[in-house]
Amino acid sequence: MAMVVNSIRERTITENSMVILLQGLQGEVTTVDLRNESTARGRVVNVDAFMNVRLEDVLYRDRLGQLTQLQDLFITGRNIRYVHIPDHMDIMKTIESQLAKIHRVRNFGSEGGGRKEFAKKTK
Amino acid sequence: MFIVSSRRRALCYVKTRFFADLATSALVRSFDADSNIMADEVEQQPTTNTVEEPLDLIRLSLDERIYVKMRNDRELRGRLHAYDQHLNMILGDVEETVTTVEIDEETYEELYKSTKRNIPMLFVRGDGVVLVAPPLRVG
Repeated sequence: MAMVVNSIRERTITENSMVILLQGLQGEVTTVDLRNESTARGRVVNVDAFMNVRLEDVLYRDRLGQLTQLQDLFITGRNIRYVHIPDHMDIMKTIESQLAKIHRVRNFGSEGGGRKEFAKKTK
Repeated sequence: MFIVSSRRRALCYVKTRFFADLATSALVRSFDADSNIMADEVEQQPTTNTVEEPLDLIRLSLDERIYVKMRNDRELRGRLHAYDQHLNMILGDVEETVTTVEIDEETYEELYKSTKRNIPMLFVRGDGVVLVAPPLRVG
């Protein structure tokens, strides 16, 4: 399972917004409130830079209260209204560890004289 | 290909009460809105204490209780822990109020109902946010 996204663009978008906290939620069971007044409670598999969320073992409750069990649910980022953060989560630590992951990937080649992720500014 | 848009300084602050040793604003990152960042500019810029742009006004409310008006007649009251340039926010101890209008069939009078619920820690997606303000005083 990819811990960090492979696209430079997505890495930068993630680093610069609060989505990084949602990425730290991977593996946790949370409730996502959707724009259409329905809720989905399940384990977060993956969150990308655009807040698209994949959940597994989901209990989906539509706005009428009807429950459905789903093995795999993909929610488009635009359709999310809220994400409930589990009580036991340390927000600062999660954000810092996610940022560290991105920086590790970004600096991977540079020490050995490999290709840097961003071009050096030439003056 | 990177989209090079006009460069806007966007600030993301996370100031939480969980961090006792970081007395002033805790983790401050400032970045450009477009995805194209040169390696030299990745160093973090120091916090500015002046209010330069509207988002700075929200920075003043960090770790305070705020009132957020959202789309679809929703209101949130909670403690602001973090926000970003999209107005995605992390709110603690939030009370959500959903207001609905029911119209009586016979008399056609409008009946305003509000439903409240409490959530300990909530991530709010910014595109639903309409306004952010200090909590309203009653009366």
